[in-house]
Amino acid sequence: MSLNSHLNVLDFTLLSLLRRKFKNFGIILVFTFIVFITGSILFLSYSFKREALLILKGSPELIVQRMSAGRHELIPADISKEILKIPGVSGVEPRYWGYYYDPLVKANYTILASSETLPANNHLLQGRLPGPEDKGVAAVGRGVAKARFLDIGSSISLLSSGGDAMDFDVVGVFETESELLTADLIVLGQPDVVRLFRMPAGMATDLAVSVTNETEAPVIAGKIRYIFPDTRPILRKEIVRTYDAVFGWRSGLILTLFAGALVAFIILAWDKATGLSAEEKKEIGILKAIGWETSDIIEMKFWEGLVISLSSFLLGIILAYIHVYFFGASVFAPALKGWSVIYPDFRLAPFIDPYQIAMLMALTVIPYIASTIIPSWKAAITDPDEVVRG
Amino acid sequence: MDNGIIIRTENLTKYYNKGKANEVLATSGVSVGIRRGDFAILKGPSGSGKTTLLSLLGCMTRPTSGSIMVEGRDISHLPERFLTEIRRSTCGFIFQQFHLIQGMSVLQNVMLPLYPTGADLTKLRKKAEGLLEGLGMLKRRDFPVQGLSGGEQQRTAIARALINDPEIVLADEPTAHLDTALSRDFMNTMKELWEKGKTVIIASHDPIVFENESAGLVVEMRDGAVKNITRK
Amino acid sequence: MRRSTVFGLFVLLCVCCLAALGVTSEIRVSRFLVQSRDLSGITAALKLTDISFSDDARYTRNPSQADIFSAFQDYPGSIEHFPSGSVTPPPDFSSLGAPITVKRR
Repeated sequence: MSLNSHLNVLDFTLLSLLRRKFKNFGIILVFTFIVFITGSILFLSYSFKREALLILKGSPELIVQRMSAGRHELIPADISKEILKIPGVSGVEPRYWGYYYDPLVKANYTILASSETLPANNHLLQGRLPGPEDKGVAAVGRGVAKARFLDIGSSISLLSSGGDAMDFDVVGVFETESELLTADLIVLGQPDVVRLFRMPAGMATDLAVSVTNETEAPVIAGKIRYIFPDTRPILRKEIVRTYDAVFGWRSGLILTLFAGALVAFIILAWDKATGLSAEEKKEIGILKAIGWETSDIIEMKFWEGLVISLSSFLLGIILAYIHVYFFGASVFAPALKGWSVIYPDFRLAPFIDPYQIAMLMALTVIPYIASTIIPSWKAAITDPDEVVRG
Repeated sequence: MDNGIIIRTENLTKYYNKGKANEVLATSGVSVGIRRGDFAILKGPSGSGKTTLLSLLGCMTRPTSGSIMVEGRDISHLPERFLTEIRRSTCGFIFQQFHLIQGMSVLQNVMLPLYPTGADLTKLRKKAEGLLEGLGMLKRRDFPVQGLSGGEQQRTAIARALINDPEIVLADEPTAHLDTALSRDFMNTMKELWEKGKTVIIASHDPIVFENESAGLVVEMRDGAVKNITRK
Repeated sequence: MRRSTVFGLFVLLCVCCLAALGVTSEIRVSRFLVQSRDLSGITAALKLTDISFSDDARYTRNPSQADIFSAFQDYPGSIEHFPSGSVTPPPDFSSLGAPITVKRR
């Protein structure tokens, strides 16, 4: 058969589909929606994972928490000396941090003591970080700045655990581009954090341990647990793995939310494809009787499935891209944010996994074509004289 | 090709639903020969097997036993592909119910048989328009077929049957849905085709058809068997 | 124009559109890769461990730091915050050695 014969059959198929405009455009609409949702989830979760992995590359190799009565407790800072003695440990630094609920805007902040200064060429911080020993100054995340209308030079008042108000001058504001990391942060000097939370002297929230060779980190973690049985070491590898899983679960939630739509579509496709109507059967018979071969009929059905599923796939995936990377996944945002007051804009970098897209295409286009062709098979192989006999 | 015979059947028997409870013997032991350029009528009451014989002659189905020779070639055991090929190249079929594809225009219906052959659609359209013109249907070419009258639907069906320049034109009970005037029109059309050298085979029990003066061969059928063959 | 040509053009248009999006993706990703150095610089300087993604509970703000033994907090069935709590996975127990299994008689 020549190329023109295929084009002719495609022409006929399109003509035939246009006869039932309402039904077929309805199917394309629903199909596009499903691809749009699934594609958005894939884009969102893949980008989020890739971003998280890149951003968290700088995390401490090992965090040591102390557990007491099943809860995360403050840890004595002086055990860092013991930990430093373990071979392979190159440094131990206490971290001072905690959560602060601001009743004014009903938001949770993350309060953090600064320990190191940022390199001067870091473009994501306007102003500077407070020095480790600075008092009365703060750097805030964009989310906090927006919630409390802060800018460099203004001041923020926090209520300490002792009940007295503490005022901080804002000396730094993180740029919007760093929101995914810093939206709810308030960075203070270490003495201010200790005073704000009334942490007992010599206690820290946890310890950040740096190791000379990261592959040895699990061994070091085991040794720390052996020497201090009440601690819980957390490896950077585990942190990363947590983020690998987070979006799996979150996407699972969205999938659940849209499972209804999916099921509806499957039922629709099933009904449409398997229940070959008497009219369609008769048409196949007529085509055979006037000289179409079985293979022509199958080809027509193939085109029918392809036209609908490929159009839907292409439209759906384009819309999904626009939705996730130009509109910040606005359809999902409410579910993803939860009840948070401060949340980052999902201005994700469009990391794309061609494999995932190919999988999505294979899982939408091929089954649809199959479910269009297979039921018509039987009608296509019957003798055309059934039509003659009416 | 013996004696200019275009289709010959030998001892043709066709069962439907063979081996099942609803088994039907539609034709049994039919042997006829139709010559090139014959105007043949298959005559008989309904249920006499003439439609089945017509389907067999038109390569729509294969016999249970016996053989059909079309242009000297036994087609009773050919695979479906070749049967379709023969059907497409030599037969034009006009159905009792017309069997036009609903929702498409007259022109599209007429062009339909040649779509999968890879025909150039512009040329095909010209040809279809020519055929419609000959049948007085050109002004209706863009009408959807469901809006046509019975006579117009039949003329569309005739044009469709002729689009592939068939050697043999077959019609099944063509006058069943037409009044006397339209039936005569139809027969005149068939006569014109016959005069142009086509072989015409019509299955009918309508006197307008089988008493037509052009009918050179009348095969009378009853209960699936040939009762009488008259050649004028 | 033939209908098959129209369909072909539609598919071509979509593919071009996808290609254009692919190009914007490349551009934006490469821009992000430059920016990510600054981001991981912040992570390193502040010793951050988690993404500020959803701060409605401490185990969603810092999923990697959540205290895993607190009753009814993290696992099993961490449902006290919906929806984010219900979709935050249980912490990884692998660092604690052999997993705890309860044998049934």
